[in-house]
Amino acid sequence: MDKRLIVTLAAAVLLGGVATGYTALSGAAPEDAARSVPAGAGPRLMVLSNGKLSTVSRSDPAGSREVTEQRCDRAYSAAGTISCLRPVGALKAGELAVLDSDLKELKTVPLTGFPNRTRVSASGRMVAWTLFVDGHSYAANGFSTSTGILDTKTGALVTSLEEFAVEGMPQRPVDTNYWGVTFTSDDNRFYATMSTGGHRYLLEGDFAARKVKPLGLDDVECPSLSPDGTRIAYKKAVDGDPQKGWRVSVLDLATRKVTELAETRSVDDQPAWVDDRTVAYGIQRDDGLNDVWAVPADGSGAPAVLVPEASSPAPIT
Amino acid sequence: MSRRRAPLAVLSTVIVTAATLTASTAAQAATTTFTPTADTYVDNGSTGTNHGTSGQLGVDNSPVKRSFIKFTVSGVSGAVSNAKLRIHTDDVSGSESPNGGSFRAMSNVSWTETAVTWNNQPAIDGATLGSLGQVVRNAWYEVDVTGYVTGNGTFSIGVTSSSTDGADYDSRESGSTAPQLVVTSGTTPPPGDPVWVGAGDIADSGSGDTATAALLDTIQGTVWTTGDNVYPDGTASQFSTYYEPTWGRHKARTRPSPGNHDYHTSGATGYYNYFGAQAGPSGRGYYSYDLGNWHIVSLNSNISMAAGSAQEQWLRQDLAASTKPCTAAYWHHPLFTSGANHAPSTATRPLFQALYDANADLVVFGHNHQYERFAPQNPSGGLDNARGIRSFVAGMGGAGAYGFGTIRPNSEARNTGTRGVLKFTLHDTSFDWQFVPEAGKTYTDSGTTHCH
Repeated sequence: MDKRLIVTLAAAVLLGGVATGYTALSGAAPEDAARSVPAGAGPRLMVLSNGKLSTVSRSDPAGSREVTEQRCDRAYSAAGTISCLRPVGALKAGELAVLDSDLKELKTVPLTGFPNRTRVSASGRMVAWTLFVDGHSYAANGFSTSTGILDTKTGALVTSLEEFAVEGMPQRPVDTNYWGVTFTSDDNRFYATMSTGGHRYLLEGDFAARKVKPLGLDDVECPSLSPDGTRIAYKKAVDGDPQKGWRVSVLDLATRKVTELAETRSVDDQPAWVDDRTVAYGIQRDDGLNDVWAVPADGSGAPAVLVPEASSPAPIT
Repeated sequence: MSRRRAPLAVLSTVIVTAATLTASTAAQAATTTFTPTADTYVDNGSTGTNHGTSGQLGVDNSPVKRSFIKFTVSGVSGAVSNAKLRIHTDDVSGSESPNGGSFRAMSNVSWTETAVTWNNQPAIDGATLGSLGQVVRNAWYEVDVTGYVTGNGTFSIGVTSSSTDGADYDSRESGSTAPQLVVTSGTTPPPGDPVWVGAGDIADSGSGDTATAALLDTIQGTVWTTGDNVYPDGTASQFSTYYEPTWGRHKARTRPSPGNHDYHTSGATGYYNYFGAQAGPSGRGYYSYDLGNWHIVSLNSNISMAAGSAQEQWLRQDLAASTKPCTAAYWHHPLFTSGANHAPSTATRPLFQALYDANADLVVFGHNHQYERFAPQNPSGGLDNARGIRSFVAGMGGAGAYGFGTIRPNSEARNTGTRGVLKFTLHDTSFDWQFVPEAGKTYTDSGTTHCH
């Protein structure tokens, strides 16, 4: 699947390119230009370059990058499916766009709020998103989120996880908020965060059964399941208080052992696994540009910049 | 090519007048060297590729390569007597060229190094600054850019070549041979023009408002606020508990504007009662005053701003009645912002339109708790260096800092996490801006824009 995405992203660049010369930037959609696939291109990472869908080489992620004109405020990709949370435009509300690897639009879902998280299941079938509806920070009081899931195979759309039953809670508390979905390999079960009463619980969900089940683990936000399905990378509120920031950590699902990773700065992101040993996440600089950092998933080592001036990393596998 | 050391090649049109002027007004000259804040090249052989992290800057005509270099000049006081771009050819075979390229000013200074490609490249649309003839490998070259870099601010230079045997320069990633901008300026006595200083999103239970109020203690002039004067609800008791002990000691010279938190109290009565006549007619929230050669309008983005609304009609009449050559306005909700917490408030556009129609020069917002500077823009957000209004988000008055989302077009400078005040010096036909950081912080941003 790699190769095809590389080729087709390049083709999209080709279609979105320009032949009009100097003044290309002035706003109009670019026309066309020819290019060839970079020689020796191996596995790549998809990132956003200040809101533009881009790819870099996995072996030289800080090197040159391919930049498309597709705009997203948050994106993810797996197995040829790209989820793109498009920004609010002057005349248009925000939306989820599901794109194929040619950047062809397969489906759009109108959404209201500030784009925050999105994820695609490893097979490319399931797509999830989280937006802020009120307030815009997980550290603030009184914010609310909206989290939904789309099954791209059947078209089944759940616009809000609040539609789902909560196991063990006959009445869902009114202050419940959900965020940060990650899918398992069966394209049905998923993990996410459920917040209620000042706690932020890890939950396991069942899409077909339309229910979620808190797992009794507090302070697990924005979970991200490892490719081998055994661990969850997430952000853990420092001292249980989001106002103090978050430590990126890894939970072993079998033993429930929590490992704090070597990144000691606050990370407010849904981590992404680059491979089974490496966790990537964005950190914003004071000037609003972001860098994608990576750190070993076992608590060893030290964080290092993976892709400078980028956000929303996703390994294209 | 030989490895012989190349002579320093200097290309310049010497500006004699500037040198003469400096001699008569400046006691001493200061020279500051800046390295680029961004540089990259594009290549029509790979139209979707970004080369921002490359160590090279290529210029060529086949395949066509163009280079872009951006500098932020700050901390320069007095008139610039000389500014030169220094650029170094790469120490690799093939970096030499019979044509070192043509260097031109660019109006776009908001491009980012890792997003520019051939497909989306900024236009090289400004004056030609100079050109270089033959360049050899591993040598420094200079281009006089005094006509372009006239003071603090952000500057972009585009480089093209008509030669099919192009040149390769070292980029900022190369370290000691990175491009340089060497600025020589004279020190001039401080002008006596009116100072107009302030911020928005100010007083809460934290200490940020204490830090910014301390800055005002040493800055004379009129104080403005861009709303959310006190948190969380703009009540009388919050004004007396949080605002009064900090910014309140400058109340007598303060001309505020209201924010949404001030309106958490019905009718913002806490705000109007606290500021009294200094907030304009009570309950209305929009008013104007003059400072030197400037007409200044404080507006209310918490009530109707629609075309034809009472406020918008008042604004158009107020601007029409003004005889001042320069005009500034301020209100809470930003029409332009890259903040992650509050989207641009399009409801404010009719106010910006009225100001644009009246040839206004400067607009300041708050609401997002951070600092951001935009290029002069028209009401649709298009770059407009002829008639556009330069705008700022100055929400760094004390409240907890916010992050940024996708950076919007024409955003030229940003910072979050540094509280401070934004100080304007209102000259007869121009204004200087200066971000003044809280004690212990270093971020700053300064520059000058001429009135229309």
